[in-house]
Amino acid sequence: MELLGSSSSSECNLGILETLSDDAIEEITESYSGLFTTVESLIAGDSSVVEEKELVSHVSTLCKYGLASLVRDHFLSSLQQAFDKGGASTFWLHFDNFRHNQHSDYGEEIHQALCGALEEISIEKQFLEKCLSTLVHALHSFEEQSSDSERVELFSRFQSMLSSTLMTTLPHHFPEILHWYFKEKLEELSAIMNNEDDDDDAQQLESDGMDLDDKLRSKNGEMDVDQGFSRHDDLVKNIGKVVRNLRSIGFTSMAENAYASAIFLLLKAKVHDLAGDDYRTSVLGSIKEWIQTVPLQFLNALLSYLGDSVRYGTTTTTPSGLTSPLASCPSPSFSKVVTPSEGIVRWKLRLEYFAYETLQDLRIAKLFEIIVDYPESSPAIEDLKQCLEYTGQHSKLVESFISSLKYRLLTAGASTNDILHQYVSTIKALRAIDPAGVFLEAVGEPIRDYLRGRKDTIKCIVTMLTDGSGGGGGNANGSGNPGDSLLEELMRDEESQENVGFDDDFHTDDKQAWINASRWEPDPVEADPLKGSLSQRKVDILGMLVDIIGSKEQLVNEYRVMLAEKLLNKTDYDIDTEIRTVELLKIHFGEASMQRCEIMLNDLIDSKRVNTNIKKASQTGTELGESELSVDILTSTILSTNFWPPIQDEPLVLPGPIDKLLSDYANRYHEIKTPRKLLWKKNLGTVKLELQFEDRAMEFTVSPTHAAIIMQFQEKKSWNSVDLAAATGIPIDVLNRRVNLWISKGVLRETRGRESNGNMYTLVESISDSGKNESEELLGGDEESERSIASVEDQLRKEMTIYEKFIMGMLTNFGSMALERIHNTLKMFCVADPSYDKSLQQLQSFLSGLVSEEKLEFRDGMYLLKK
Amino acid sequence: MAAVNGYQGNTPAADPPASNGSKQSAPPTKTVDSQSVLKRLQSELMGLMMGGDPGISAFPEEDNIFCWKGTITGSKDTVFEGTEYRLSLSFSNDYPFKPPKIKFQTTCFHPNVDLHGNICLDILQDKWSSAYDVRTILLSIQSLLGEPNISSPLNTQAAQLWSNQEEYRKMVEKLYKPPSA
Repeated sequence: MELLGSSSSSECNLGILETLSDDAIEEITESYSGLFTTVESLIAGDSSVVEEKELVSHVSTLCKYGLASLVRDHFLSSLQQAFDKGGASTFWLHFDNFRHNQHSDYGEEIHQALCGALEEISIEKQFLEKCLSTLVHALHSFEEQSSDSERVELFSRFQSMLSSTLMTTLPHHFPEILHWYFKEKLEELSAIMNNEDDDDDAQQLESDGMDLDDKLRSKNGEMDVDQGFSRHDDLVKNIGKVVRNLRSIGFTSMAENAYASAIFLLLKAKVHDLAGDDYRTSVLGSIKEWIQTVPLQFLNALLSYLGDSVRYGTTTTTPSGLTSPLASCPSPSFSKVVTPSEGIVRWKLRLEYFAYETLQDLRIAKLFEIIVDYPESSPAIEDLKQCLEYTGQHSKLVESFISSLKYRLLTAGASTNDILHQYVSTIKALRAIDPAGVFLEAVGEPIRDYLRGRKDTIKCIVTMLTDGSGGGGGNANGSGNPGDSLLEELMRDEESQENVGFDDDFHTDDKQAWINASRWEPDPVEADPLKGSLSQRKVDILGMLVDIIGSKEQLVNEYRVMLAEKLLNKTDYDIDTEIRTVELLKIHFGEASMQRCEIMLNDLIDSKRVNTNIKKASQTGTELGESELSVDILTSTILSTNFWPPIQDEPLVLPGPIDKLLSDYANRYHEIKTPRKLLWKKNLGTVKLELQFEDRAMEFTVSPTHAAIIMQFQEKKSWNSVDLAAATGIPIDVLNRRVNLWISKGVLRETRGRESNGNMYTLVESISDSGKNESEELLGGDEESERSIASVEDQLRKEMTIYEKFIMGMLTNFGSMALERIHNTLKMFCVADPSYDKSLQQLQSFLSGLVSEEKLEFRDGMYLLKK
Repeated sequence: MAAVNGYQGNTPAADPPASNGSKQSAPPTKTVDSQSVLKRLQSELMGLMMGGDPGISAFPEEDNIFCWKGTITGSKDTVFEGTEYRLSLSFSNDYPFKPPKIKFQTTCFHPNVDLHGNICLDILQDKWSSAYDVRTILLSIQSLLGEPNISSPLNTQAAQLWSNQEEYRKMVEKLYKPPSA
């Protein structure tokens, strides 16, 4: 030691060595060894006032010779030795028990071990610091100047020495222990907080994080708010003490990591717990509230507790164990200059972001379900919207949602109606999240593509659009009513549509222009610049549906067929709903395209008038003969054939009296409307009839064909199918099908006849003859084959045969042609009725159909005739 | 047993659709604008496409309905069997009061077709009537292939060879180049 000391001094003050006298050297060595013994006894803790005085004199002697640094070095190294021996190793010894086990096995034990160990080591540290301050005091007495900076320097050296000693001996499991400790404590705290709100919850939560005593207390219900707060304060104080002790031994960042991760874990659990699978309530508010009440209050208390002590350390001149430099500057949020409230604000932001992100991930994962029950789940959508505004992770949503769509919706098993319903809900939901429609576009694309591949898409869309009464497509599925929502959509868009279409750029009203301009918002960053800007992109459900179909003409056409069917089945002339629908469609698709539908409606209105006129005329006519029927029982619908979709003709011979009635009616019409004449479509319309049997009477509403069949049985009780077919003029195969209605109603009975004459049909006169006794009224005409209007598919097929001939013709003369050229040529020359109005894609699929039929060949992008 | 109570909604068609005017009937007036020519050609095209006569076909060129391309295949049991000839048809604004100009584009070794593809056929010159249309012209040319008018030949070599059908067939095969796209 002596050698070390002198050599170090010689390094520093080589010149001084020359001037030293023997006396001086003796004095130095004497004080140096004196220093040794006094320091030793000081650190050992059995120093007296005399020894301290001796220390002061030794120190001053050494300092006199310029050996102050030697004194400091020696003192510090002695402190380190002492700490190594006592503090550090015993400190870690406390945790050895918990090395390999699950922390949860220990419970309170670990808390106590941690608190105890920390307490112990801080006492040890305080003692060493006291020693250090004695030295500082000694140094003070010698030189008055630069005392403060010297003190700070010494303490910081001591602090870093201390923490580096601890860090180098840190066992692996210590951070885990810390983490676990904070987790436990936070849960406990959260339970206390919950308890204030809700006793039931508290008991449940407390059971895992609190000791028996606490639980008992809370169960007894004596836990009023004050007590809750005081317990809360105690808890925070305890944790604060632990954190402070950890900081004082230089584990600031480790401690912060530990409680931060504990808070986040707790928050995550809380979000999951709150959000759950219930989408009908908004949870964001309660999450925020929880953040405010539990973690933030905890942090607030903790920080202010620590902050106070920090301030205390700086304001007093006496050195305190808490003014360690490491403690004061670990992270910006805790530095002395920052007020605790600012730190809290940062914490709040961090926590909220984390909560938003967690909730967002949770909601995005379940977005499909959320959208399935969309109108009810709008709170969840609203939450998600807010989350996304905060986190900006829209692309995550798009990706995840598309994949779940593909997996769950766009499969062969899903009905077109369901897909459409989901599509509409998606549009609505995403419109709420993202009014610009950027993400909707990305999400909608796969659905649209898929729907285009389905045959009944158009029909379903039109049904949804126009059928306000619901039951779209015949299969009334319980969940929600797509029809309702879309008709509503038609009306909703009515006003918004007004300033769209004709003058998108040109606003006659300056004020309106200004309002529009001030409402402008930039596109989201994710927007695809190729797809046009916000102004062109309208989140218009109708538009998006039409987009699936391809063109509005197709939609209108399909609607026309449906309208025709509906109008033909009407027995009264009540067409108010249809008029309204047509008016709404006119707003969207323009007057011109709805013209034919309007004419159809006008036909109905005219028919009503003509019908009344004819009946009026008939009243003044002669009395009816016995077998004749009154015109009053007949109402007619007079159609302008050109404007109606092709009507399917089916031969039918009506029974005599009816036929007479019809021709009378037609004659009257001719009288009124000369030179016009009526051509009856005898198979269309409905007949209300009552069948009277020996023992019962039944009422039916059926098609004329059915009525004509059953009327034949008025004369003759049993018919064979061949004769019946001849009498009614219905082809025998159709007849056999039609008769089934009466058989199923128990009116007729079928018996196998001789081969030549086909089956025998016999009237069931009394109910006892048949096993059935159904008598409910049923509208015959639900079979697909009984549609009176040629379906759009049929029309399409017809059109396509014309195109096929044209394509064959042009390929014969031009050899081979590319798709584009065929398309253009058809557009150019196929102008007669029906003119060519297909899209390039439709043509392409049609051509590939011809290729697969081996009528065409496709080579190098060109189509040519198969030779 | 049964009494009909009511009979409702039978649906007569009040206005039977006017039948489309026959495409054969020529307008009475001599002054025709190109619009009516256009209409006539369009309806002829429709008729031709829907008629589906075997062995003849024609279609307007991409952007001009006054210029058509035609295709004729040689009839069975003639020396032209199995061959296919491409024609060009060009209509004037006076159509159908003036005949269209028709030329062979594929080389055709035929007594009434010269080396440039000009055709000598009475109905395309002085015997033209507005009652003819593309379809009848093409059918006439198709039959002309099998039954040439030897008395007024444009191609004397072909006219002389006609009597020897076997040699003629060889000549047709030798000179025949199938029309390309």
